[in-house]
Amino acid sequence: MIQWRWLRSWEAVLVAALVIELLVLGAINPAFLSVENLLFSTSDFAHVILGALGLTLVVITAGIDISGVSIMGLASIVLGLSWVAGADIWVAVAIALAVGSLGGAFNGMLVANTDVNPLVLTLGSMFMFAGVATGLPGVLDLLGFKAYGAGGFAAYQYEGITGLPKEFTALAHGGVGWVPNPLIAVLLFALVLSLILHRTRFGRYLYLIGVNPNVARYSGVPVKSVIVAVYTLSAFGAAMAGVILTSYFTSARSDLGSEALLNIITAVVLGGTDILGGSGTVLGTLLAGLVLGFLRQGLLALGVSNDVIPIIVGGLLVGTVAMKLGLIAFNQRRGNRRAYQLEISETREGGGSPA
Amino acid sequence: MNRIVKNRELLVLVILGVLIVVIGAISPNFLRPTTLINIVNSSLFLLLIAIGEMFVILTRGIDVSTGAMAGLAAVILGVSLNAGVPLSIAIVLTLLTGLAAGAVNAVGVTAFRVPPIIMTLGSLGVYRGLMLLITGGSWIETIPHSIKSVAAFRVAGVPALIWISLAIAVAVAFALKNLKQARYLYAVGDNEEGAFLLGIPVKATIFSAYCLSGLFAGAAAVVFVAQIGFVPMQTGSGQELKAIAAVVLGGVSLSGGVGNSMSAVVGALFLTAVDSMMIFLKVPGFWNNAVGGAILLAVVFIDYRIRCAVRDQQQRARAREMDLSTLEKNNPAAGSASVMGKAT
Amino acid sequence: MPKVDRPAGPIENATVAPPLVSLKGVWKVFESVPVLRGISFDLKAGEIHALLGGNGSGKSTTVKILCGAHKPTAGTIELNGQPQSFDRPSDAHAKGIYMVPQEPHIFSNQTVRENLLIGLAGDARAYAERCERLARELGLTCDFSTCAGELSIANQQLIEIIRGLLRNARVLIFDEPTSALTIREVKSLFGQMKKLSADGIGIFFISHRLNEVLEISDRVSVLRDGVFVLSAATATLTTNDLVAAMRPAGSAPTKASEHVRSSASRSSKPVLEVKNLSGKMFHDVSFNLFPGEVVGLAGLVGAGRTELAEAILGIDQHVSGDVAISGQAAPTRSPRVCQRLGLAYVPEDRHAHGIFLELPGAQTISASILARLGRPFLSAKREGEIVAQFVQRLGIKLSSRSQLARTLSGGNQQKAVLAKALAALPRIIILDEPTRGIDAQARQDVYRLIHDLTDQGVGVLVISSELAEIVDLSDRILVMYRGRVAEIPRSQAGIDQVSAAVFGMAGEAAA
Repeated sequence: MIQWRWLRSWEAVLVAALVIELLVLGAINPAFLSVENLLFSTSDFAHVILGALGLTLVVITAGIDISGVSIMGLASIVLGLSWVAGADIWVAVAIALAVGSLGGAFNGMLVANTDVNPLVLTLGSMFMFAGVATGLPGVLDLLGFKAYGAGGFAAYQYEGITGLPKEFTALAHGGVGWVPNPLIAVLLFALVLSLILHRTRFGRYLYLIGVNPNVARYSGVPVKSVIVAVYTLSAFGAAMAGVILTSYFTSARSDLGSEALLNIITAVVLGGTDILGGSGTVLGTLLAGLVLGFLRQGLLALGVSNDVIPIIVGGLLVGTVAMKLGLIAFNQRRGNRRAYQLEISETREGGGSPA
Repeated sequence: MNRIVKNRELLVLVILGVLIVVIGAISPNFLRPTTLINIVNSSLFLLLIAIGEMFVILTRGIDVSTGAMAGLAAVILGVSLNAGVPLSIAIVLTLLTGLAAGAVNAVGVTAFRVPPIIMTLGSLGVYRGLMLLITGGSWIETIPHSIKSVAAFRVAGVPALIWISLAIAVAVAFALKNLKQARYLYAVGDNEEGAFLLGIPVKATIFSAYCLSGLFAGAAAVVFVAQIGFVPMQTGSGQELKAIAAVVLGGVSLSGGVGNSMSAVVGALFLTAVDSMMIFLKVPGFWNNAVGGAILLAVVFIDYRIRCAVRDQQQRARAREMDLSTLEKNNPAAGSASVMGKAT
Repeated sequence: MPKVDRPAGPIENATVAPPLVSLKGVWKVFESVPVLRGISFDLKAGEIHALLGGNGSGKSTTVKILCGAHKPTAGTIELNGQPQSFDRPSDAHAKGIYMVPQEPHIFSNQTVRENLLIGLAGDARAYAERCERLARELGLTCDFSTCAGELSIANQQLIEIIRGLLRNARVLIFDEPTSALTIREVKSLFGQMKKLSADGIGIFFISHRLNEVLEISDRVSVLRDGVFVLSAATATLTTNDLVAAMRPAGSAPTKASEHVRSSASRSSKPVLEVKNLSGKMFHDVSFNLFPGEVVGLAGLVGAGRTELAEAILGIDQHVSGDVAISGQAAPTRSPRVCQRLGLAYVPEDRHAHGIFLELPGAQTISASILARLGRPFLSAKREGEIVAQFVQRLGIKLSSRSQLARTLSGGNQQKAVLAKALAALPRIIILDEPTRGIDAQARQDVYRLIHDLTDQGVGVLVISSELAEIVDLSDRILVMYRGRVAEIPRSQAGIDQVSAAVFGMAGEAAA
């Protein structure tokens, strides 16, 4: 479903929502509203936006990928294990990103080559990646590698792989001026994805495939390779998120990001992307991610329990979609009535069409 | 296609049988009756959730909140029992909780036309949050003995819960084959527009599918609390994945219109048995997820290949039929393909 | 045009009693576009009433309103003089109106019996006997416990008819019932329709096949742009009257063959060579296509022509044989590869394979040439230029760059698909039923385009079920029968001979 005008104004709505939200939260708790504080707090939810940005492109092709959260954990563990195995930390980062992207390629190949619902496929791979992430240290340990890092198995269970080099862990806590590095990563990724989506052939292919993959195929679009590529890209974003989380928490864990799924999908849907494919923008997802992130931060700062927040987010997710659908239906009906009345009045005024 | 489904359930049972024999050869303890009964017993939770999930998938929908609904219902059960509510009323409350949770999904999907994945993902979050809210974040550790004794009750050496669950599954299978309203589920999943045009109450059918999913999640919660005896925070977490895997394994098609409750039974048994087998093979527990995910992927992939083969076959049959029917010996001049724009 | 004997006309006292069903002043607006502008008509009991009209004229909408699938924006429906309001199709069923859709609504995983009986009020067993009797009378001979998905389209249609009769329908609506039927099945269907009308059932049917309309109907009404421009007894009409009525006001009739055909030079190399191509629906097909010529591929529905085209294009991978495009062997083909080699294909089903309905029409047109719009970033300016170029050349009525393809008329949609194919500057173009379901003006534009293309040296393969069209357009004619292709020599390429070959009676050339 595309209503170009609607989409453009939806981003404006999001900006307005963001501004209002910040003002309201700031009014209740003025400390919240300092620029430094706001920028800093984005590090808490940067991983959600990173996951959501890549997912937006996948959803535009009428697909979906819920394994991103597992890829975050997988990337994190692979990072830790590579480093424990002796690799330079930055090489370990590269390996983590590569493995994560491979996971995405795996998803993409399954989606491209079968007609099975991508939801089910990525549901399966989500569990598979999570399982591999959890079990990998154990396997390597059995094989003789000291997979558990400095503290041994007991410490690993509790903290993950710790003792990562300072120059790496400083990454997520450092920044340029007041702007923290995670936020920079988010903005850069958003910029790149936005350029890809709106200005390149590949991006156009995504929309074409999302609207009708058969027509796309007949029109010469390389559907299969585009699908593999877009799932890979999305997984790369998730892997990046996993790396950043590892740096932020100074430990590599297999369960990083597992709570984020609901937030990621809500950000995509709230951002105006149609879950059924064919429309969506990167800017919308970015704005929606910010709206959601600050909402969570603000509520937490207000003392709202962590447990209630998923209720609010879940409600937002459903509410947005319901409202959007309702508004579209309402507009259509109103437009029809108006057009009919216009025709009637025209026919009455001057030579109408023959009966 | 029906033939393949029937074969599919048999096929899965056969594979299961083979696996049991193999594992039994490696570890003879596996073949003791107690073990096998335990496997069935521990599959009941998944089995009931899977039957609920089946209703939704039949209509070509999906429900990823079944685990959360079961968890919420379990919490309600624990809380009400601890508050002194009599067992039978508490069970009714639990079932009603599940039903209500399912009804919320139903309203979202039918009245507001929210795509099922979104609706149930949102309600997943809400129900998990509610669980945490009600319990204050802690496990419900003490449960009155009344419910636990239900699980202990045995008939002919086999836990009563097994008999009850299987009876439910059989009843559902019977209803699905013979009850008119149940057949509507298949029609809606097979061809929703066609069903609507024929006067089938599509919205009501889809509504009941989601409500049933909730109801069975509630029933699963009763079984869970009875068997486990307490309610941990992660109750139901991830069960929807396994339930979907179970029903697909057992022959329910994700595109709707195919399958029945025996698919859910067979699938749930298979997955639970595989979990047990891994224990017997001394594979560490955290591999369960990986194996579960891999099995689901393998199953749907094979399902896809089978469907391709069936479609191929149908096309060939249709081609042959067209071949035969174009064997015309009519006078070609009259009734030829249409002639446009030519005055004769 | 031979006038065929028609069954007895409407019941005598129809002028006194109210008509079986009537529409009065019905308007329907979709997404701010008026599709029906105050139409009125009557259907009498026992009458077979045909509804003609080009794409976008409002035919489908009219019957959908009649059978309860849509509600009119304004106006009334009356049954036997009583005003009715239908909220859903089952309301219409309850009042005795039933539509047999163009594509039967079949539950492919359920049995035939279940398909027949589902949705009926009360106990299904009560209907079982009537069901079997109707099946016998109408010729539905298959086993009731087979999967409905395995039935032919004709049998699936019978299921729909029986469904209607089981609901005691007094008004049966057929939407393009013959488009997927073989000749024998069409004859059978018409026999059933005559029987039903003799029983007093009013029949309303949509068709675009004029000869069938003239053969079977008692009255004909022609819709154009949402209003009726003609409504008369069939006996008083000729083909020309109908064609004229459907033609947009002010345009003059042109024949496909006005163009002087340039002789294709045989000395040049073929642009398309197909050798021993075999697949599911065709065997051992071989032919060549030379630059600047039009080759027509005729055949009955189901002869395998689209399957052949899709095999050449590479959509269907399970084929054996060789294809060479522009002199280059192409063992592994895909639409993308073919495009690169210079082969374009305009699909038979434009909605399923040709056009992006939910995107601006401009994006359908540019879909095949995105690679040429700049690397790495697409140039919106260049895209606009190319789109404008083709919009003008093909006369596509596109009001703005952002107009969705869904809102275009059938003819304009087909032109957009054509533009997409042409934008890639192909040397060969395969047109599969290019004029199906489009209005006469657009049809002429397509013919003109084909001639322009051959003038430029493009090789054109036209697949069509309309023999006159093929005979007029083609330099050479191939006929496909039961999966095999044979060429008809030029001396014997009149309509009658082609028709005979299409039915497998090559050699019985009418003198």
